[in-house]
Amino acid sequence: MKIWTSEHVFNHPWETVTKAAMQKYPNPMNPNVIGVDVLDRGIDKQGRLHSRRLLGTEWGLPSIVKSIIGNARTYTYVQEHSVVDPKEKTFELQSTNITFTNMVSVDEKLTYKPHPEDKEKTILTQEAIISVKGVSLNSYLEGVMAYKGSITNKLNIFASEGLFYT
Amino acid sequence: MNSVGEACTDLKREYDQCFNRWFAEKFLKGDRSGDPCTETFRKYQRCVQKAIKEKDIPIDGVEFMGPNKDNST
Repeated sequence: MKIWTSEHVFNHPWETVTKAAMQKYPNPMNPNVIGVDVLDRGIDKQGRLHSRRLLGTEWGLPSIVKSIIGNARTYTYVQEHSVVDPKEKTFELQSTNITFTNMVSVDEKLTYKPHPEDKEKTILTQEAIISVKGVSLNSYLEGVMAYKGSITNKLNIFASEGLFYT
Repeated sequence: MNSVGEACTDLKREYDQCFNRWFAEKFLKGDRSGDPCTETFRKYQRCVQKAIKEKDIPIDGVEFMGPNKDNST
């Protein structure tokens, strides 16, 4: 199991970043996400907006796994639950893969909050926990996935910043 | 951005436009007035649920908001 975390500061207030993050896809920097659907959405008694979304992605497995299971079956689905609290100014997302679960488990958590030292900025903390099932290729595969995960997340961050310039 | 169900993309875009406008102009500003997108969402959902069944996507069907869900407008 590998745990990967990162932090990023956006030079924009929380509302602006949350609006952009909610519409993050499509995203030319991450063409791997090719389908997004909202499954359920509603406001709870505390006034927080809950959303459950289904993401379809072409990427999700390192090429060594693709070569084992065959290229035709690399379309992966991810289920995401997010909560926006407009009073506390938090936007939290959790996602997990729902296909290839017998081979790999990728759980991600993202939190957007106003920067504690500067209300005009937003801080994003990301955490990904990656586990590969099975014995022999464990650490190697987890290392590859974590490395690719960090690249994808960096691209996502740049793209999110880029949204402000369109 | 497309829907996971190819036939649902137009309905999805219609819903997304409605939602993004409400989200930015009402919800984030603390305006608790009703969600104007329920009808477009219903149409969009019918299509998505059908696509999920057809593609056999293993969605966790549990009602994640539980009995406290408040959808009143």
